[in-house]
Amino acid sequence: MKKRVLATIMSATLVVSMLAGCGSAATTEAPAAEAAPATEAAADAAPAADTASGDKLSFKIVVKSFQSSYWQAAVQGVNQAADKLQVEVECNGPNAESDIADQVNMLTNYINGKPDGIGLAACDQSACLDALQMAKDAGIPVVCFDSGCPDAPEGSVLSTIATDNYGAGATAAENMYAALKDTIANASAPVRIGEVNQESTSESITQRGLGFIDKFAELAAADGKKVAVVGNEYYVNAAKDKGDEATADVIIEVAVPAQTTVELCATEASAIMNKSDVLGIFGSNQVAAEGILSADENLGKLGSKAGENILGVGFDAGSIIKAAVKDGKMFGAVTQSPLAMGRTTVETLYAITQGESVSDVATDGYWYDSTNMDSDDIAPNLYD
Amino acid sequence: MEKKKTAAKKSKQELIVFLVVVALLIFFCAASPSFRQYTTILTIMDYSYYIVLMAIGVSFPLITGGVDLSIGTGLVCYSLAGGYLIMHHGWPTGAAMLVTILFGTAIGVLNGVLIGVMDLPPFLATLCTCMITRGLGSICSKNTGISWPTAGQPGCWFRSIFKLDVGGTKIPLGFIWVLLLAILMHYVLRHTKVGRYTISIGSNKEAAILSGINVKFYHIMAYTVSGLFAALASIAYSAVFKTVLPGTGAGFELEAIGGAIIGGVSATGGAGSIIGTFIGVFVICLLKTGLPFIGLQANWQQIVTGFVLIGSVMVDIIKKRKEKR
Repeated sequence: MKKRVLATIMSATLVVSMLAGCGSAATTEAPAAEAAPATEAAADAAPAADTASGDKLSFKIVVKSFQSSYWQAAVQGVNQAADKLQVEVECNGPNAESDIADQVNMLTNYINGKPDGIGLAACDQSACLDALQMAKDAGIPVVCFDSGCPDAPEGSVLSTIATDNYGAGATAAENMYAALKDTIANASAPVRIGEVNQESTSESITQRGLGFIDKFAELAAADGKKVAVVGNEYYVNAAKDKGDEATADVIIEVAVPAQTTVELCATEASAIMNKSDVLGIFGSNQVAAEGILSADENLGKLGSKAGENILGVGFDAGSIIKAAVKDGKMFGAVTQSPLAMGRTTVETLYAITQGESVSDVATDGYWYDSTNMDSDDIAPNLYD
Repeated sequence: MEKKKTAAKKSKQELIVFLVVVALLIFFCAASPSFRQYTTILTIMDYSYYIVLMAIGVSFPLITGGVDLSIGTGLVCYSLAGGYLIMHHGWPTGAAMLVTILFGTAIGVLNGVLIGVMDLPPFLATLCTCMITRGLGSICSKNTGISWPTAGQPGCWFRSIFKLDVGGTKIPLGFIWVLLLAILMHYVLRHTKVGRYTISIGSNKEAAILSGINVKFYHIMAYTVSGLFAALASIAYSAVFKTVLPGTGAGFELEAIGGAIIGGVSATGGAGSIIGTFIGVFVICLLKTGLPFIGLQANWQQIVTGFVLIGSVMVDIIKKRKEKR
């Protein structure tokens, strides 16, 4: 008995020391944001809500995860708008972007709490549908951001604020194709373009991936080249024209890892990049793009010289991708504006509560490379 | 005489697994021209270090008849904690590595106490610490991905422990270290008290208690070794990959456990060799790296790996049945 007590105390001490080992982390604030204390009143926004009753409006925001700094930037935008409009927001998200069930659970819990509005970046296009019906029945307005839910029950999602992901993927393809045009035209044997997507379930990633594939194929076909899409079944089947690998001049090879981790993205990327006929490779989000860079640690094939190096094109920002673009290791990347997206989400939810009618907002994807990444219209979008 | 026989049997198992590795290498080289490159070896090595280190560690709990499920999420957690200290508190890399190692060892001790002293089933205890470390990792890093110093940044020297750049040619130095550690732990398992008692707990716990072995203490030791090696794996992972993402890591432990079992560690405890584990992990790593080269999609890779595991566990069971007869 004595021993048992001792053991309990010992393990309790361990847990405490473990927590202490994390330094300041044990006392960290949650990624959520309490609405800030009243600063100066928002001037240009709609008149503040505090004129009505004493209670502040309360919004819940569900992001895909906090895995990448992209989401940190979105949350920052959410907080900015919340400060300005003097509303209360709470942000949360699952551990990983592939934890679809956890996210649905989180969303359902929020709906049960009856907030004034919910902002949702869905990990999966269809997993949230039941929850969205619940929200509609409970009269809670939902605004989707980053990723839409195209099949959502009529009237549940009032607005979708997202990058035109298909267009952003196409932007990546246009810039890569422009650089490779001559090499492809002069190639005597079939050439290969790689694409790494972290998954095949969310709208944002799949649209980006398909936007790249379709645009690249379209541009190559316009120059008289035959194109085939091979690899992951989802993307092959969803592409506008999957072509025939046997007769193709340009082969677009799509890889999707079993889980969204950098090391699995890197394994898939290195399998493609090891092939001798690869001219370019596209990673459709931060994790995939960093996977490509990780793979290149050993291969040393990436660079900015078309035909000589493999042209790597990334998506989003983050310190590693930014550094790689800056020194020319990565040819370029497309960035979104997560900050503006987060801000607009809260502003839209606010407008809904004020009885205004709202519509979808498409935000742009911007191409950046070593030449323009410091310019005024690009730099603010490049978060660390 | 009896002893010699079992020793011969064990080295036979290691030889078979080694031959499987060679066969896989030949197969992939034949099937894919792009596999036949020096860089492929570098890639396989890079991706093997953290699994080998985890596998060496987890072999000890496995041999006691237990398991350690916390090493995967633990790996990510320790790396996030150490990396956070470097990135946001300006700690030198060496000090952060030390914290990482201590953190891992502490979790190992905790597992050991829960299992050895408080008699929690190993599966349950380490499942709990698996969840705890997964959450703790996200908290330690304030929910962001963490990058340990990359090439050119101050403190990036630790990356060359695993991969040395000699005039543009990269040398997978880490292989030597993990091999040396494997040989060391092989010796520990075979020729020291800690190792021999680990085996005797696994083969017959009652007998071990009756013969006066301090079973509680050696249980704690086995899980401490596992925690320590998970921490070493954590450093290897941080050195090889550019970013560590919070929320990941679950599933890493299965590759390590799979490697150990392919290498001849008995799924029911009581037998195993660290050299076997070392070779077994390369079966997993070769499959993981090689299968994408022959154009197999990610989901099929997992299925193939699953079947290979079933195969090696079956071999273990059949062997045991024969021994009983």
